[in-house]
Amino acid sequence: MQEKKGYVSFVLHAHLPFIHHPESDDYLEESWLFEAISETYIPLLTNFKKLVDEGVDFRITMSMTPPLLSMLDNSLLQKKYIHYLEQLIELSEKEIKRTAYDARLNELSHYYYNRYSNDLHIFKDVYNCNLIQGFKHFQDIGVLEIITCGATHGYFPILYVNEKTVRAQIAVGVQTYERFFGRKPRGIWLPECGYVPEADKYLREFGIEYAITETHGILYANPTPIYGTFAPIVSPDGLVAFGRDLESSRQVWSSINGYPGDFNYREFYRDIGYEADYDYIKPYIAHNGVRVHTGIKYYRITGKTEYKDYYNPQWAMDSAEMQAGHFLDSRVKQINDISPYMEKPPIILCPYDAELYGHWWYEGPYWLYILFKKIYYDDCNFSLITPSEYIDRYPEIQVSTPCRSSWGANGYSEVWLNQSNDYVHRHLHVAGDRMCELAYLFPNAEGLQKDALNQCARELLLAQSSDWLFIITNGTMVDYAKKRIKDHIGRFTKLYKQIKENKIDDTFLKNVQEQDCLFPDIDYHIYL
Amino acid sequence: MPRKTKEQKEIESKITTTKTTTATKKTTSNKVVPTTKKATTTKKATTKKTSSTKKASSTKKSSATKKTTSTKKGSTAKKTTGTKKATTTKKTTRTRKVSADKKVDIVEYYDLPYRYNQTVIKLLAQTPNTLFIYWDISDTDRENLKKQYGDNFFEKTRPILIIYNDTMQYSYEVEINDFANSWYLHVKDSDCHYRIELARKPIPEYTKNEPIPLPNYFYITISNPLVSPNDHILFTQEDILIRNIKTNEQHSKPISSLKVKNSMQKIYNIHDLYKKFYKEEDNFYDLSNPSSGNPSSGNFRIGKI
Repeated sequence: MQEKKGYVSFVLHAHLPFIHHPESDDYLEESWLFEAISETYIPLLTNFKKLVDEGVDFRITMSMTPPLLSMLDNSLLQKKYIHYLEQLIELSEKEIKRTAYDARLNELSHYYYNRYSNDLHIFKDVYNCNLIQGFKHFQDIGVLEIITCGATHGYFPILYVNEKTVRAQIAVGVQTYERFFGRKPRGIWLPECGYVPEADKYLREFGIEYAITETHGILYANPTPIYGTFAPIVSPDGLVAFGRDLESSRQVWSSINGYPGDFNYREFYRDIGYEADYDYIKPYIAHNGVRVHTGIKYYRITGKTEYKDYYNPQWAMDSAEMQAGHFLDSRVKQINDISPYMEKPPIILCPYDAELYGHWWYEGPYWLYILFKKIYYDDCNFSLITPSEYIDRYPEIQVSTPCRSSWGANGYSEVWLNQSNDYVHRHLHVAGDRMCELAYLFPNAEGLQKDALNQCARELLLAQSSDWLFIITNGTMVDYAKKRIKDHIGRFTKLYKQIKENKIDDTFLKNVQEQDCLFPDIDYHIYL
Repeated sequence: MPRKTKEQKEIESKITTTKTTTATKKTTSNKVVPTTKKATTTKKATTKKTSSTKKASSTKKSSATKKTTSTKKGSTAKKTTGTKKATTTKKTTRTRKVSADKKVDIVEYYDLPYRYNQTVIKLLAQTPNTLFIYWDISDTDRENLKKQYGDNFFEKTRPILIIYNDTMQYSYEVEINDFANSWYLHVKDSDCHYRIELARKPIPEYTKNEPIPLPNYFYITISNPLVSPNDHILFTQEDILIRNIKTNEQHSKPISSLKVKNSMQKIYNIHDLYKKFYKEEDNFYDLSNPSSGNPSSGNFRIGKI
């Protein structure tokens, strides 16, 4: 890679909470994974492959969180995903017949039929039901850098009142990464970008070199970073921190002027799950008869009107190409503006939720593909880079302590700590303390007792997912999130008491192990 | 703190004594509108808060609400919500047949315990200027205090929080009440080390006739130390320290030797400029922080574009 005037680094954060219900098919929440596979993960893999096949040299970074990896690796969820696709293929076949009266609509029905049939082929035949291998391949050939995350996306700024629980989140995050990718992660996506300096020493202990922080994690750092977010800083404990670039973020994220709002793009909220005749659609919506998104959507955003025109994939691709050009021009200008003030080339860090690409912004993966091609072929002043490559190339970094921050609303902890969810924290803290107590009391456990202790660690980690707190704040699917907190704290407490009283209920333990089955190699000694 | 009428006192002591049986009622009667600094900038939060006030006012109001609003501006109390009266984890276990694989499955139902019966105070930072505190006093500690100072110890003393700002080296008290087990506290200084002590103070009206004068202060417990987040660019001007992360060698460089010497402000102005450009969008920070209203890592089904 020849030296450029600047660098751009895309970081996609792929995460979903661990949702696995072998006991029932009734949990709508399981379909979050299936939608993300079809709309985000498969399209990303497909576009990476296209770029590689076309000889385009590109770089992208993705965090794949341990709960997501555990779900992608789970054979029951893999089977359920195949069933999900088969249902959609069946539905789109029916749609082809139903829409015969309108050529444009009928073309779209064919489009969905082909798309879902292709997903099934890719999932079963190309990736043998395991997409992790697909991502690993692109890491192994050097175009993708995969980084890790906290074990269950536990939010450090709230957990760190017991530092051991933060250490355990990191330890299990790193361990899970190694199990799937056969090497150590160099970077971490801090859950919700929640940064506290107290975690640095543990991140370093487990070999993490860098983390991604929110913009003001860098701008409000102490002492002030001379280059703002255009260069990383290193904390006194040795953790390198990269900050999110505001301008590029805004171009993609903004609900008003952001790219995803283009009128030619697919309208997310118009789905036949809500619009088709009830009796016709009933087999394809929720088991209890509630209408939900199916994924078959026929309209484009069209404008700020109730009236929506049919989606036209070609128009959407044209818009994506135009916007990719705009993004590239903006970065060129940004780098020209900044580089005269810097001793080394600036890095523009563009972190996003992976699920924005494809799920929310249907054309997002195609936009990335076009953008990466343009960057490679156009003679522009920057190239793509991963954070690891940047620090290898420019290891001289200003020492400064990042600011305590997150990427939630207003930049601190309000999303995960407010009047709707603050009742949870004392339970998380007590369970954390009790886990440490158990590890201290039973350092040499064997057999059933050891299994129970390890399961306690899983239950604690699952309770700590920031997702539940976020969902409660957001006000949708609240009952599910509250139930998950109660279930994991409940199971933890029950096992805690059984272990202390030496009355472990074997059947109960097996049942819980089957349901909360992530982290097979977990070792409760991480809480010592 | 205004003096209470006799009636208020009676209601208050009644509530205190019936605390364990009316947990749910207290929850609603004690919700108070928080007056956090950023309330006006967070649309979503404001709406939520307003609705909670409505709820509170439509339910049975007690003197507790009045009392809380009359305490120091910027601090609000809230009883932990979503809890039911239960001192231990409620569990019911029954079995059912799952027709699919005819396997015996355990159906579980859990509730969160109402309290853990520990003497504890924990401190968290919600924002650079809002701290969240929760606490409890164990039954044993309660009994010990009663044994030592009389059965009506909790009626003749009131709880307080003592806020220690260890960075700026000052401390002050905030009066709280016995209906709350958590509190949002507005603090004026961000980026400081804080500790908070839970203590009690005698209520003069109740204690002036004590045969043996009570101490004027009772320590209960102290919180974890906490550093509140910073909320502004520091623009420190000293020489910068550079570390080579491969060799761990460090050297300092005067800013005057760098290209950026007089232009650091320019780099930071770029960020300020963004704010000006995009001010038509109602909440700048909402845009830069996708978890707020945009699709988020937290839950990918929620949010709008």
